[in-house]
Amino acid sequence: MVKPILKLITVAKEAGVVTRKYPYDSPLLTEEFRGKIEIDASICWGCGACVKACPSNALTIRESMDVRELVYFAGRCIFCGRCADVCPTGAIKVTKEFELATEELEDLEQVVIHRKVKCPICGKHFVPQPLGRYVCEKCAKGGVPTYMMVCPECRRKVGVKKMIRCKGG
Amino acid sequence: MRVRTPRALKRSIWVFHLNTGSCNACDIEILDVLAPFMDAERFGVKLVASPRHADVALLTGPITRETLPKVVNALRAMPRPRLVLAIGACAVSGGIWHDSYSVIGGFPRLKKILEENGVVIDRVVYVPGCPARPEAIIYGLAVLVGLLKKKVRKEVKEAGER
Ligand code: SF4
Ligand code: SF4
Ligand code: SF4
Repeated sequence: MVKPILKLITVAKEAGVVTRKYPYDSPLLTEEFRGKIEIDASICWGCGACVKACPSNALTIRESMDVRELVYFAGRCIFCGRCADVCPTGAIKVTKEFELATEELEDLEQVVIHRKVKCPICGKHFVPQPLGRYVCEKCAKGGVPTYMMVCPECRRKVGVKKMIRCKGG
Repeated sequence: MRVRTPRALKRSIWVFHLNTGSCNACDIEILDVLAPFMDAERFGVKLVASPRHADVALLTGPITRETLPKVVNALRAMPRPRLVLAIGACAVSGGIWHDSYSVIGGFPRLKKILEENGVVIDRVVYVPGCPARPEAIIYGLAVLVGLLKKKVRKEVKEAGER
């Protein structure tokens, strides 16, 4: 009866104290640990690639008349990091933040607001400004920026009109 | 009868582990919290076998339709103040199953059903993560009993001009 207990005491002595003092001490975070993501609003385009990639719909897009909102809800995020992989601008950073406990679900939201470009012909808002600017810059090299900031529908109409004029002489 | 406010919960916290159809990863993390490595008993947290003895329900999973009546019964059996720690993305908002046909989809929706059935929840703290780390659960417990302050806040940013 005594022998196993003695054995146990020896084992316990060898192991020492293993309990971590967590809230009063640093957490045990490994190199690979992924936590909440952070969206850098200054470089995000509002393209929505991350929304397509997100397996749990933690990232969503809310469209309204002249604004596109990229909404990140950490309460649904599974910390997979796919959004950071697909983001073309590198706006999404995976942080090591995991202390997210809260009483209000609202606290877990992060919203990036994008104003949309206004079409000079029909006045419709159609694409987030940073994305529009990027496309313009890319296409300006090819030399076709004339109708770039016109909405797709108006662009089609204008194109057709132009074509008719050309054909008709 | 005057109901004690959650703040008055100065004694040891007895927890009841309530799995509502989770994938078991969050449950393993709860075991981690209670095992000697993270040792939640430092704060007086003790696992009990019956909801009738519990102060806090550690709720994991997205609440499947099959478990719903049992979950309501278990929570009704808890004495007031009834505290809930919703652990994992599933319990917070349905997580990866949020639009599945077979789940209620997280604690906020369950709370409405509970209210309709006359079961009052005095306080709930959400612990996101899939699974929530043991540290995150301890942090959640600390927030629940008022040991620590919450860190996160809603952020609204306007996309910057270049
Ligand atoms: S993929 Fe990147 S640039 Fe596109 S909307 Fe998401 S965060 Fe913004
Ligand atoms: S980490 Fe995964 S779940 Fe979270 S927002 Fe990114 S893609 Fe979605
Ligand atoms: S939050 Fe993730 S780990 Fe936890 S039960 Fe749900 S799917 Fe499993």
